Amino acid sequence: MELWIGALNLGFLYALMAMGIYITFRIHDFADITVDGSFTSGAAVAAVIIIAGGNPLIALLGAFGVGLLAGATTALIHTKLNINSLLAGILVMTGLYSVNLHIMGRSNIPLLSEVTVFTQIAKFNPGLPQEIWYTIVLTGFIVIGWWLVSLFFKTDLGIAMRVTGNNPMMAGAVGRNVKMLTLLGVALANGLVALSGGLVAQYQGFADIGMGIGTVVIGLASVIIGESIIKSRSVYLRFLSVIIGSVVFRFMIAFALYIGMNPIDLKLLTAIFVLLTLIISKAVAKRPAKRESPRKILNSLRKAIFNRWSAAVVFILILILGGFLLFKSGGSHQKIKIGLVQFTDNGLLDVTRDSFLEEMHRIGYINDKNCRIYVENAHGEIPVLNTIIDKFIRDDVGLILTISTSATQAAINKVKDRPIVFATVANPFIVGAGESDSVHLANVTGVYGGVPMDRTLAIVNRFFPDRLRIGCLWDPSQANVVFNVDNLRQELRNYPQYHFEGAHASNSAEVYQAALSLVNKNIGAFVLPPDNIIYSAFDAIVKAADNRNIPIFISDVERLKDGALLALGYDYTSSGIQAAQMVARILKGTNPAQIPFEKYTKLTIGVNLNVARKIGIEVPQAVLEQATLVIDEKPVTRGEPKRLALFQFSDHSMMEECAKGVLDELKTSGVLEKYNITIERKNAQNEFTLGQSIAQDIVRRKYDFIISLSTPALQIMAQANKKIPHVFGAVTDPYRMGVADSPEKHLPQLTGVATFQPVEEGFKVMREILPRAKRVGMVWNPSEACSEACTIIAREAARKYGFELVEATVTGTSEVMDALNSVLDRGVDIFLTSGDNTVLIAIESVGEVLKKRKIPYFGNTPSDIYRGGLIAVGADYYDVGREVARVMQKVIAGADPKNIPIQDCVPIQIGVNLALAEEIGLELPESFLKRVARVRR
Amino acid sequence: MIKIHNLHKKFNPGTVNEVYALQGVDLDVRDGDFVTIIGTNGSGKSTLLNAVAGAFLPDEGSIVIDNREVTRKPDYARAARIARVFQNPFAGTAPAMSVAENLHIASLRGCKSYPKKGLNATRMQFYREKVAVLEMQLEDRLGDTIGTLSGGQRQALSLLMAVINPPKVLLLDEHTAALDPKSAAQVIKLTKMFIEQGKLTTLMVTHSMQQALELGNRTIMMNKGQIIDDISLTEKKQLTVDELLNKFMQIRKQEQLTPELLAELKQMYA
Repeated sequence: MELWIGALNLGFLYALMAMGIYITFRIHDFADITVDGSFTSGAAVAAVIIIAGGNPLIALLGAFGVGLLAGATTALIHTKLNINSLLAGILVMTGLYSVNLHIMGRSNIPLLSEVTVFTQIAKFNPGLPQEIWYTIVLTGFIVIGWWLVSLFFKTDLGIAMRVTGNNPMMAGAVGRNVKMLTLLGVALANGLVALSGGLVAQYQGFADIGMGIGTVVIGLASVIIGESIIKSRSVYLRFLSVIIGSVVFRFMIAFALYIGMNPIDLKLLTAIFVLLTLIISKAVAKRPAKRESPRKILNSLRKAIFNRWSAAVVFILILILGGFLLFKSGGSHQKIKIGLVQFTDNGLLDVTRDSFLEEMHRIGYINDKNCRIYVENAHGEIPVLNTIIDKFIRDDVGLILTISTSATQAAINKVKDRPIVFATVANPFIVGAGESDSVHLANVTGVYGGVPMDRTLAIVNRFFPDRLRIGCLWDPSQANVVFNVDNLRQELRNYPQYHFEGAHASNSAEVYQAALSLVNKNIGAFVLPPDNIIYSAFDAIVKAADNRNIPIFISDVERLKDGALLALGYDYTSSGIQAAQMVARILKGTNPAQIPFEKYTKLTIGVNLNVARKIGIEVPQAVLEQATLVIDEKPVTRGEPKRLALFQFSDHSMMEECAKGVLDELKTSGVLEKYNITIERKNAQNEFTLGQSIAQDIVRRKYDFIISLSTPALQIMAQANKKIPHVFGAVTDPYRMGVADSPEKHLPQLTGVATFQPVEEGFKVMREILPRAKRVGMVWNPSEACSEACTIIAREAARKYGFELVEATVTGTSEVMDALNSVLDRGVDIFLTSGDNTVLIAIESVGEVLKKRKIPYFGNTPSDIYRGGLIAVGADYYDVGREVARVMQKVIAGADPKNIPIQDCVPIQIGVNLALAEEIGLELPESFLKRVARVRR
Repeated sequence: MIKIHNLHKKFNPGTVNEVYALQGVDLDVRDGDFVTIIGTNGSGKSTLLNAVAGAFLPDEGSIVIDNREVTRKPDYARAARIARVFQNPFAGTAPAMSVAENLHIASLRGCKSYPKKGLNATRMQFYREKVAVLEMQLEDRLGDTIGTLSGGQRQALSLLMAVINPPKVLLLDEHTAALDPKSAAQVIKLTKMFIEQGKLTTLMVTHSMQQALELGNRTIMMNKGQIIDDISLTEKKQLTVDELLNKFMQIRKQEQLTPELLAELKQMYA
């Protein structure tokens, strides 16, 4: 739910921007791409006003104002200087980048702990969930915005503006000042865009220099989607369609996430969707007839499709889509759909399910990649079982896997036309699945096995060779249970010294009473054949047995730890694994009729010595020797399965290294197994809006733990999540991000590791190696927060070690070489790059130039030495990752993040490219080489 | 009403595409005059109209309209006094907007457009009455977009838009040339009616000799960016099409008209 609400809210926030785009592109026919800049300008101005303590509404007004100015500038360049509108937009957008940096004073302003419109709105929340409350307020806001803008375009002035865009010649002829009206329209449009930017910044909790990138595309996509949904001349409906388009666009992204699509493919799909919408709406628009009859639309559509160009586009699209699907499914054209249904939440059924899924994965059927496995659970309700099977039929699954007898029964009654594989069924013959292992229903096969009651009694006999009253509980309504109990009675004939006492329970609430009745009959032991109902109330039996220290013999090894003395049964992981292999055979084309039923292959015997000690029973040596599982000392706390989301912002190598550290540490520490935790990785692909959606998704799906890597990941996550324990890493300075004031004073739900680049250490090394060097050159991009922070430290450190810093700044990778040359022309002895991503992209070329000039190249990412750097003094992000994982371990063990101080972790690592040192004739002192961790020879 | 003195205009000066469109035009149009303008293609007829409208600024000379010097003023600043109808029915209307909105914006000609409610019920009623005059069945189509109208309907509407807020000067640039004969006849009928009702000073470029002779009280002939003849009402009444062609012959004799041009004229006005 939160995912959709979140998407709705984002859609509303971006709708203002889309309305702006509509005004320029559709009303004024003015291809304005200023918006990529003005969106950020709005966010920047709003953020600056807010951190200065201004009213957040004033901040929005300021955002609107700066947008007006930006738009007016573009329009003036276009009208007064007669420069093409597209070019004018590009010019202003480019210029705005610097302006925005100036406004903000840095590349990122956090608003997490500031008063924003949203914190104000939250104050009036009458007790609804936060996002829903926002939706209500935003709906009101957007309705007012929509009404005002639409109304404006119905006034004399608005009509004049529309005429200007529609037919400028006529507008001039009827006395409209076309230039003036264009200026007004473009300014108004950018005002709306900037207002949207200001709102988004407050909603997401920060303003960032890069947040406007792609705004035009999103806006255009919204406009186009909206137009394809609502076609109308009415100004009101047109603006409404834009708002709807914006929301639909967000829903598309949410939906892709919801179905678990890899975010990598998201943009491609967006592009394809928009392109298709364009082709269709063009086809429809080809005939501007008065009323479009469906046939006419179809005709024109057909014409459009048979038009050479459209045909080519469609063909290419089909190719892309085809290739895409082919790639995704690893060769097979259609996704395989499998329906998996289990009857209850019983442990052995869960084990069967999980081992099945694991084995499927192992043999190459990966859920959501090359196959789709619908995993359903009837939670003990037969009617639900039927609904689930109906759903499978509607979903057109190719195969149904049933776990448990009841599920199998329901499925074979209903489904005749597709294969059914069953698992963890005691006796498939009594439900009519077949007559023998090889003679059975044509569409059904599976794995089964009764509980080996003979062997259970043999073990019981080891403990109690003499007289014994055996108590047994079961639900008489389950066919397989009755089968097992009958089996037990049969076997008891071999032990005349034993007496059988039975009791029924038809639901879990009755189990305790039934167990007590048996206890009162002075039974000496419980022997419990597998029964979903009884096992689900196992704790009640343990409680009833506790007073008299009655030992419990069960057949489910999973429940051993819960207080049974001994468990003897088939290992149900083998049931799942065998079933998976059968499924694979069927998927590869074998007729299920040809596959005989199989029995489980693996028997497990577990002994709980804790229970033995507690009730004062000695476990015979012979039993211990047979046991495959012995529980001793502290019980294993393998609790409910938990999930950890590892959220990183991009694929940057530093973050990958860090993520690897996290994963390695968590895996080797054993914490994952101990607490039954699975890790899911999330990657925002370097995009803020995608990051927000992912963060909302993580919150919606209630992950148990979150690790975020990188500064933007921290910011986005901290904004979306207020409850789930969150550990951050790969962050230079959390104290500037609004999540913490000091190591101890931070947001209660999170803690983490701060890693400041060891810039000063780098200068120390420079001085040590090059005692006579004077000037250090540096090229950096002021829009990168980390790079900026490093540069500020570098200036200080340079002074301290007697260097002069020669700087040049760039805004993009294409400018790096020019900047490098300008620095070199000014004369430098050393060149330094401190974690600047813009320069790092070009590091090979930079290294090449410096090698020719024999200038030592210092970096601060240890891996730089493999890509052209000479010496790198930096933090080892792999170790940082391990440190993050260690903090997470504390949290998993139960520590409250609130009480864990943020720690600094700067594992300094020095790397040297010795071959390069030799080539440029640099001699390195022995004392230095000793400290080097990575050497490239 | 209109005083034009020594008007010159060169397009794309200094390039291979240079066109010397107006080569010293002098014209004095009195209040209430209805002047038809004839001439060969490229003789400068439309350029003259555009110069008066302010679509471009002349290189030399002066234009005075209603005793106001407007030579250096852009089109929108002259629009209070001048209304025009273009040859292309698509040019004079905003195709994506409704009939009512087009009429509304036209009725604002010469006024400022403020952000106040545009179309209200009274205005709608007014426009409904106005379009009824056109006899084009537009009364119930005020909400339809112009793009859905026929060429004749559009051009009649353009004419109505030009006179809905009566101008001092009406400029008609071959406004029936792109229409079928039936629509053209209806538009000419409306043109006569509107001009007579409003006593509008009018300049009308035409390709039809018949129209040139039948309409208006004065006809001027243009060639090579100059006015080469000015025929008064009394002269016009006695002239037939043939006689007018003879007039061309005389001009040719004065070596102002080449044989090729004459042939072209004959073909056009035959």
